[in-house]
Amino acid sequence: MSQTKMKPRVAFFDFTGCEGDQLQIINLEEKLLKLVEIVDIVSFREATSAHSDDYQIAFVEGSISRDHDAERLEEIRSNADTLVALGSCATIGGINAVRNSQDFDTVQKRAYGDDADRIDSWEDAKPAAEVVEVEYEIPGCPIDKDEFLRVVTDLVQGREPSLPKYPVCLECKLNENTCAFLREDICLGPVTRGGCDAVCVSEGTRCWGCRGLIDNPNENAAFDVLEEHGLSVEEVTEFYNMYFGWQQTAEVEQ
Amino acid sequence: MKILAKYEFDELVNKWIAEDPREVVGATHDGTKFVFDDIDDAEELRLDYDLTMLSPKKYFFPQRERLVQYDTNENDYAMVQDWSEESRIIVGIHPYDLVAIEQLDDIFIDAQGDEPYRRKRENSVLIGVTMQSVSEHSFAASMGTARTETGYDLLVTELEDTYAIEIGSEKGSGLLEEAPTKEASLEEVEAVEEQKAAVESKFEKGIEFSPKQLPSLLKEGYDAVEVWDEYADGCLSCGTCNVVCPTCYCFNVDVVDYMTDEVGETRRRWDGCLLEEFAAVAGGENFREERVARHRHRLMRKGNYLYERFGDIACVGCGRCTKQCVADVADPSEIYNELWRSVNA
Amino acid sequence: MPEKIEATDHGPVHYEPEPATLVRREAFTDGDSVFAFELQERDTLGHLPGQFVQLFIPGVGEAPFSVSSSPTDEGPFELCIREVGKVTNAIHDLEVGDTVGIRGPFGEVCDIETFADNDVLFIAGGIGLAPLRSMINYVLAHRDWFDDVTVLYGCKEPAEMLYPAEVRQWEQSDIIDFRMTVDGVPEGQTWDGNVGVITTLIPGLNLDPENTYTVVCGPPVMFQFVQQELDEKEIPHEQIYLSLERRMHCGVGLCGHCQINDLYVCQDGPVFNYEVIKNRPEALS
Repeated sequence: MSQTKMKPRVAFFDFTGCEGDQLQIINLEEKLLKLVEIVDIVSFREATSAHSDDYQIAFVEGSISRDHDAERLEEIRSNADTLVALGSCATIGGINAVRNSQDFDTVQKRAYGDDADRIDSWEDAKPAAEVVEVEYEIPGCPIDKDEFLRVVTDLVQGREPSLPKYPVCLECKLNENTCAFLREDICLGPVTRGGCDAVCVSEGTRCWGCRGLIDNPNENAAFDVLEEHGLSVEEVTEFYNMYFGWQQTAEVEQ
Repeated sequence: MKILAKYEFDELVNKWIAEDPREVVGATHDGTKFVFDDIDDAEELRLDYDLTMLSPKKYFFPQRERLVQYDTNENDYAMVQDWSEESRIIVGIHPYDLVAIEQLDDIFIDAQGDEPYRRKRENSVLIGVTMQSVSEHSFAASMGTARTETGYDLLVTELEDTYAIEIGSEKGSGLLEEAPTKEASLEEVEAVEEQKAAVESKFEKGIEFSPKQLPSLLKEGYDAVEVWDEYADGCLSCGTCNVVCPTCYCFNVDVVDYMTDEVGETRRRWDGCLLEEFAAVAGGENFREERVARHRHRLMRKGNYLYERFGDIACVGCGRCTKQCVADVADPSEIYNELWRSVNA
Repeated sequence: MPEKIEATDHGPVHYEPEPATLVRREAFTDGDSVFAFELQERDTLGHLPGQFVQLFIPGVGEAPFSVSSSPTDEGPFELCIREVGKVTNAIHDLEVGDTVGIRGPFGEVCDIETFADNDVLFIAGGIGLAPLRSMINYVLAHRDWFDDVTVLYGCKEPAEMLYPAEVRQWEQSDIIDFRMTVDGVPEGQTWDGNVGVITTLIPGLNLDPENTYTVVCGPPVMFQFVQQELDEKEIPHEQIYLSLERRMHCGVGLCGHCQINDLYVCQDGPVFNYEVIKNRPEALS
C-alpha cells in the first residue's frame, strides 16, 4: 500500500456511437483535474490531438459493427494491459443493436439512402466483448461520471472494480422518487442494473434500461408488470429491446 | 390535553421555523405525493395526508450516511467517526410511524447502542398527528397501530377550528410554553377519543386474526412453500418493499474514496434482504439464493424473528410496501391472511 | 472449576476503527497467510477464543475475521486470511508496518471453561482451522483443566496445510491426540499420512460421548457429513459447537447481512451450539 505508484498511461477510443461517454469525461470539470493527477491521458481524440500507442489502460466507446472496427479494436487490445468498455454501445450493444432484430437492407437504406452500398457494415452491432477480451465494463447511456472515476481509481490502486448488482429501483426509492408506474408511466428500473442514482426517474422520466439487465432478472414478472400497465406483447418486446436486445439474444443462445 | 386554535398552531409552527435552532420538517406534498420534507411555512403542512413515501426514520437513519472519514497520508493518519447529529422538529407523524420509531429506538439505542442513530433521535422532537385519511393500502388498525398512547412528544388531533394537543414528554411541553393554549374541556377530550376511534373503522384492509398470533403463525407456516412461492414467483427482487418500510433497518457499508487512496469515507446505505446479493459471502456462497427464501425472510422478520428478539411485531401495517410494489406481491396483510388460511385449512 | 473470562463490553457503537499495525505476515499457501497486528492505542485485543474482529482497509472496505490466536498467546493478535475478494486481496497486499483499522472483538462464543473435566474434540476443515486455532491453543494453555484433547484437521491437499510448523508440533505432542488427513495428493506433492475426507477420521476415535465436547469449523457441506458421524458416536447435540461464517457490515447486530433465520451470527455466534441451530434451515444449507 505504501509503495509509490506509477501513473498509468490511459487512452480513449471510439467506435460506432455518439461519443457521449467521452463527453461525460470532458464534462468532469474540476474532477478532470483530479483524474489527470492519477493517470496520464496519452490519447483522447475528443480532447487532444496528441496520440500514443503506448498505454496500459484503454477505454473504448461505441459498438463494433465493421471489419475495420474489429481490426482496430484488436490492435488496441494488443497494446493495452487492461481494456475497459465504456457506455451502453460498447457494453451491451446499445441503441445500435436495435437494428439487429430488423431487416438489414431496410435499416441500411433508412440510414444511408442511395449510399447504402458503400457502407460495409455488419448486420449486427456488437459489444466490444464479443470481439476481444474485455476486463471491465462501465455501462450507461451515457456513463455515470462518478462511476467512471471510481473504476479508474480502483484500477490505479490495483483494486478490482465492481458494479452494483441491485436494480435501479433501490436508488430510486432512496431518492424518494415517485415511482414511474404510480405516475401511470412504465419503467425498466426493476430489472436494470443500478449505479446511476436513478437519474432518469429522478428527472421525471422513466428508466430505459441503458445500464443493461441485472444478473438474474425475473423477466416473466417484469413482462407481466409491463403488460398489466397496458403494453402489448410487441410493445413490451420493443421497450425491452431498446437496450436489452443484445443481452436477450445472448441469453437465448446460451 | 391542550387546545390551540388552528391559526395559533400555524403561528406556533412558524415561530419554530423562525426561532428554533432545530430544523422544522413535516408531512407535506411535493406535487406528486406526500413526503416528509423541510417546511418553510406552516401552510406547507398537510396533516390530512394518507401515507408518505418514506417514514420519518430517515431523519435518524438516513438513506445514505457517512460513518467514518479516513485520511491515510503519513502525517495526518486518521480514521475518525464523522456522522451528523442534526436536530429536528418533525411535525405530523401518524401513529403507525410512531410505533415504528419506538421499535427502532429499542433496537438502535437500547439494544445495540448505535450512536449515529441515537444522537439524531434524541436531538429530535416527534409531533404525532391523529390520522385524518387512511390509505387504501394500509391495514394499521388490524395491527393495533392506528392509534398510540406513546412514542410522541406531542400528539395533535384536528377538531373543528382547533387542534387538541396531547403532551407526551417534557420536550413536547417545552414547545408549547409560549403558545396561548387552554385546557381541553371534557367535550373536547371526548371528541378526540371519537376521532381516534372513527379512524379505526376507515381501513379497508386488515389481517383476519390477532397480530399476537403472527409469530406462531409464521413459525408454523415457514414450510408452506405453496404460499410463499405464489408471491415469490412474481417478485422482482428489487428491494423496494424493504427500503420503504418504516421498520426495515438493514444496511450496507461502502467505502467512498475521494479519488485517491489517501482520503475518503465509509458510508452506510439502506439495504434490502430481497436483493439477490444480500446474503452472499466472499467466495461465492449465497445463503438465500432463491427468490422465495428472500421473500419469506422479509415476512418472517416482520412477524416472527424480530418479535422473538425484541418483543415487537415489526409490521405496523402502514401499507407502503403494498403501494410501492410494482409486481403487487408485497402486501403483508394479503400474504399473512393467505398463510393463515393455508395453515388452518 | 476454572474462572470464566468475560467478554469486553465496548459500550456505544461509534463505528470508528482503531488503528493497528501489521507487525508480521507469513504465507502458508498460495492464498492463505497469517497476519499479526498490534493495536496502536492499547496493549491487547481482549478477545475470547472464537471471537472475531472487523478489519478495515481504507479505500477498500471492511470484513469480519475470526481471531486465530488465543488470548493466552503473548504479543500481537493473529488473523489467518484466505484471498477470496476485494478486502482479502487488499489485506494480502499489505506490508509490515502498514496501518489498518480494527473494530471489535465481537461475537458470542462457547464458554470453553464449561468443557472442564471433559474430553474435547476439535474438527477443522480447510480454512476452518483459523477460528478453531484460538480455541485449540486456549485449551492447550490450560491443558490440565481438560481430560483427553483431540484435534482432527483435514485439507484438500498437503500443500493447502495451514500453520504447518504448529501442525508438526501438535503431531509430536503427547498432550493432544492430533490426526490429519488430506482429500487427495496431486502429482508432485508428497504425503505419507491419511488420505480421505475428514469424516473418515471420526469412526476410528474412541469417544466417551457423555463426556465429550466437540467444536467444528469448516465449509457448510462438511458440517452435514461430520454431524452424521458424530451422531453415530452419539455425542449429545448440546455438546457440539459450530463456528459459522457470514458476510457482515456492522458486527453489532444491525446490518442484517449475517442473519440465519432469527439469529445474528455477529451476536448469537459465530460459535453456535448445534442444539440451537439445527432447526434453523438457513444455518447449514
